[in-house]
Amino acid sequence: MMPRFLRQALTIARRDLTATVMTPTFLLFLLSPLLMIGFGIIGGLSGQAAGAAGEARQVLVAIVPVDQHEDLRAADRELRSVFSRDSARPRLQLEAPQGDAARQARALFDSDAIEAAAVLYGPLDHPMVLRRAGAEAEGRYLAALATQTLRAAHAPDVRSTARFEIIAVQAPTVSGRGQAAYFSTFAIFLVTLMLSGQAVGAMAEERSNKVIEILAAAVPLESVFFGKLLGAFGSALLFVAFWGTLIANLPKLLPAGMGSGLSDLSVAVGPIFPLLLIGYFVMAYLLQSAVFLGIGALASTQREIQMLSLPITIFQFAMFGMASYAAGNPESWVAMAAEIMPFSSPMAMAARAANAPELWPHALAFAWQALWVAITLTIAARLFRRGVLKSGSPKRGKKAVA
Amino acid sequence: MQQLAVSASGLVKRFGDRRAVDGVGIAVPKGLIYGVLGPNGAGKTTTLRMLLGIIEPDEGERTLLGSRFPRDRSDQVGYLPEERGLYPNMKCREAIAFMGALRGLPWATGRKRAGELLESAGLGHAADDKIRKLSKGMAQLVQLLGSVVHEPELLVLDEPFSGLDPVNQERLELLIRGQRDRGATILFSTHVMAHAERLCERISVIAGGKVRFEGTVDEARALLPLRARYTPHHDADAIGAMLPDDAVREGGSWRFTMPDGGIEALLVRLIDAGHGISGLSIERPGLHDAFVRIVGAEALADQPETIA
Repeated sequence: MMPRFLRQALTIARRDLTATVMTPTFLLFLLSPLLMIGFGIIGGLSGQAAGAAGEARQVLVAIVPVDQHEDLRAADRELRSVFSRDSARPRLQLEAPQGDAARQARALFDSDAIEAAAVLYGPLDHPMVLRRAGAEAEGRYLAALATQTLRAAHAPDVRSTARFEIIAVQAPTVSGRGQAAYFSTFAIFLVTLMLSGQAVGAMAEERSNKVIEILAAAVPLESVFFGKLLGAFGSALLFVAFWGTLIANLPKLLPAGMGSGLSDLSVAVGPIFPLLLIGYFVMAYLLQSAVFLGIGALASTQREIQMLSLPITIFQFAMFGMASYAAGNPESWVAMAAEIMPFSSPMAMAARAANAPELWPHALAFAWQALWVAITLTIAARLFRRGVLKSGSPKRGKKAVA
Repeated sequence: MQQLAVSASGLVKRFGDRRAVDGVGIAVPKGLIYGVLGPNGAGKTTTLRMLLGIIEPDEGERTLLGSRFPRDRSDQVGYLPEERGLYPNMKCREAIAFMGALRGLPWATGRKRAGELLESAGLGHAADDKIRKLSKGMAQLVQLLGSVVHEPELLVLDEPFSGLDPVNQERLELLIRGQRDRGATILFSTHVMAHAERLCERISVIAGGKVRFEGTVDEARALLPLRARYTPHHDADAIGAMLPDDAVREGGSWRFTMPDGGIEALLVRLIDAGHGISGLSIERPGLHDAFVRIVGAEALADQPETIA
């Protein structure tokens, strides 16, 4: 015979297990890693893409007479063979000197067409290398390239001695935009990830303390849902205001220089960007919370709500995956899809604000996202009415005619 | 025609295969206290919820305060649900004001009236206490005050007396009468006949999802014949033979249904036979008996699943 204690424990365990497994929520819970793997791949790709987006646009420029171009190119090929990836250093672009090579070199850093990480000019045995702050390796590569070219063309013992100069760049850069886009997406994602999940339990609370009947009798369910959404949003806003103020003041508190990296992040739409960012955070929050509120309202026990939190997080990651890919690849069809798809749209559009200067798509996006908040809430209220109150929706149109 | 606060016809609500409400009609005249009586599970709550527009009927029509869309008039309605619920962390005054605010009453007015209402209900000391600190009965009173704070035209109370002690039941009856005197229509459901008997001007008896009776309390009681209780001066077994067939001996008394022709002839015979009269009472059966008769005979017979 099984000991009594064990039998009792197993009886309880069995009931608990059944209560957990025999729900549709469990299926969602069970399958969510599949989704995660799928979206994780997208997310990984897009993360790489965002990083690569900056690098791929950068170039190294050598301003040397045309007759040396072939030698340099050969040396570049040879040197590059030591890197495991071809893109370990920005690609080499060769230009012929035109008049004042020093001015020509400096002008390259202000160009919008290319993004020069480092520029070499002057004679190969005493070249001048200009580089951006942070592009130290790129500068050394150009110097090494000069040495290698000389050795190959002349004698093994020839050595090039380069001088280096760091150029401070003011103008927004394309890769800076890419990083700002990714940063915006990530910021919105992170904040909504932390906050919007709260909405899941909102209706469960109402149901457990039975207040729902009073609410449902007094006001339409749609209002109840929207009220809940706004209530949750209020607390989220407090959270954001608090942390936002802290972070905004952070650069002032840091030692000078540490904050300079932040100023490299530059955006296309200009000073209106923070407003857009806040606006898109609001929309991202409302959209996702509306979904969670609706789903949470249908869950009848705390257990179900707990199980919902994983699929919800994964859903958020999925949206983030799409939007961050969009941030790294602003012209791609994925970007377009992410901007149109309601639940990734706020993040993708925030990225767009960093990448592209036009403002009208943002007006359109806000309207579109607000429409989806309304649609989501309406669906949520209908499902609740049908599933929990066991009632159809008021058939106003039909009755009015009859 | 008398003005109706609430009317409905042919209301049907199905939950799965079960017809919880099966063709209920109701007509509640304005300014009356109207009771919906029925056993547990009869469909009272579902009927009230349909009348209020909380849920939609599968079939049938209803009109509430002149509107075919009950929700349009929700600001003129007060409702105490069967399952009481308040936010445990709210203060009484706030909870009442909140319920008023849900029905369109400004918060400030709600708070002010809440104070007055609590005071008059003898709960003035608890105005700033949190709901969780109250006893169940007190919380229920607070919720009731919350459902009248906006002075609704129609007050719907679902089992308002359940869970209250006799003192609070008395308070509640006073409050209901007070609302009626203010001009409100009160529609309430109960399965406790005593309250209905004292309060209601008209009643509907619902059982098994159908209306079994509609009328005044007296009309309901008139469904049963008068009962007589006779105590002879000299008791004897022979008396049984002289009384109607259903006579039952209880101690030294006999209980029987009043004969159709009145009791006088019977009394003459009893006196002539020398039994004498030391006690006699003739009484209308209470609403309780009428209810059991209405519900017991018909509903319970064709609703076996409510017993099971």
